[in-house]
Amino acid sequence: MGKVKIKNLKKSFGELEVLKDINLEVCEREVICIIGPSGSGKSTLLRCINALEVATSGTVEVDGNDITGAADKDINKYRQNIGMVFQQFNLFPHMTVLENISFAPVTLKLKSKQEANEKALKLLRRVDLEEKANVYPEQLSGGQQQRVAIARALAMDPDVMLFDEPTSALDPEMVGEVLNVMKKLAKEGMTMIVVTHEMGFAREVADRVIFIDEGFIVEEGPPQELFGAPKNERTINFLNMVL
Amino acid sequence: MSIPELVVQNWSRLLAGLAMTVELTIISLIIAGMLGLLFGLLSVSKKKSLRAIALVYVDIVRGTPLLVQAFFIYFGIPAALGIRLDANTAGIITLSLNAGGYLAEIFRGGIESISKGQMEAARSLGLPYSLAMTKVILPQAVRTMTPALINQCIITLKDTSILSIIGIQELTQTGRLIIANNYQAFEMWTIVAVMYFVIIMILTKISKRIERKMSYGKSEN
Ligand SMILES: Nc1ncnc2c1ncn2[C@@H]1O[C@H](COP(=O)(O)OP(=O)(O)OP(=O)(O)O)[C@@H](O)[C@H]1O
Ligand SMILES: [Mg+2]
Repeated sequence: MGKVKIKNLKKSFGELEVLKDINLEVCEREVICIIGPSGSGKSTLLRCINALEVATSGTVEVDGNDITGAADKDINKYRQNIGMVFQQFNLFPHMTVLENISFAPVTLKLKSKQEANEKALKLLRRVDLEEKANVYPEQLSGGQQQRVAIARALAMDPDVMLFDEPTSALDPEMVGEVLNVMKKLAKEGMTMIVVTHEMGFAREVADRVIFIDEGFIVEEGPPQELFGAPKNERTINFLNMVL
Repeated sequence: MSIPELVVQNWSRLLAGLAMTVELTIISLIIAGMLGLLFGLLSVSKKKSLRAIALVYVDIVRGTPLLVQAFFIYFGIPAALGIRLDANTAGIITLSLNAGGYLAEIFRGGIESISKGQMEAARSLGLPYSLAMTKVILPQAVRTMTPALINQCIITLKDTSILSIIGIQELTQTGRLIIANNYQAFEMWTIVAVMYFVIIMILTKISKRIERKMSYGKSEN
């Protein structure tokens, strides 16, 4: 069964057609890496999955719920099952690390404060930041902030996790610690859709790699195929440029 | 009479005038705060019609002098509607609407100064817009707005003196009435000016302290 089903998805910003007929099915426990040149629509595709962008046409189903045509209230509900990690972390600066993580479950009355805090501590242990529970985000390094952001998304017990270039804003020495957390997550069976420029990560962790260019899925396949024997000329050119 | 003698002689009247000034300021700012928040939220709405409502309100407030606003509300509206409005009520309505317009702009600026990623992060966790706004955006916005808010409080306090024109017995009007009896303009306006100055300095000091308390994280190292 498809966890995420994208059918004939199109998205335009005014005159500019950014996504032109995207079809993609992501299975449970599958890890998808999306690669492609800057401006090709990778972020837009990811953001259509949790309706941060409203699709122009087509459907996006997550867990069998069509999010594209849903009412605001239902979208809020669906989003609870779709975690998102941003390039710029976007932690809440006025809350401590612990509050950042327990905030949504408590505010949405899904957990009591105590339950949420216990869960938050458990998640902090998972991302190896237990000792930072009571500091504010600005006192953390970029890599630590991004790990907290992952923990914050996990606090909602999502079925799917979306990552939009989670390591692109990091100093090189911090990329590894974030990728390691993501690898662990993948091993534990999380369904993940990752937009990334980290080809090493894609090669190692992805079940399937999707190459997007100019709003189309140009080529897709298991990493060894897509990286080892790319068929499309545009894929070949792109890989030559980044590898 | 010398200034100290004038102060002693008129102390209770001056104090009553000052109390009225402070009272007008506080009541108006409370109402203006609510108006400012409401219209500030409208001005960042996705709906064009709501933004237009906020824009019209702010433009009217900014595009007309406070004195004209006071006359319009004290003389104009009662004349048109055939009602009576006492000066204090008219004064509070005027100041509230006026400060509300400026505060709406301050709220809009504060909200817009928070990066779009904050709203998106909150929404991506499943929070409805209203909760994301009240729990994530506004707490941060108010922190960045603090200096502008304090500035508006001081402006509104000073603006109360314009209401002396419609006969409200606040500090400025009290000064004028005393001078009408003793003709000591230089001494009396000095006293009145010093009283405004002192109260504003006290407010500035208090608000500086609040401002320091409001900054998070940084101060705790
Ligand atoms: N809100 C928006 N309004 C108008 N144009 C937009 C908007 N968001 C994205 N675009 C445009 O859509 C195109 C695709 O953007 P998108 O962010 O999806 O690319 P990307 O593949 O993620 O690129 P990058 O690797 O640089 O992040 C770009 O040309 C971008 O300028
Ligand atoms: Mg992008």
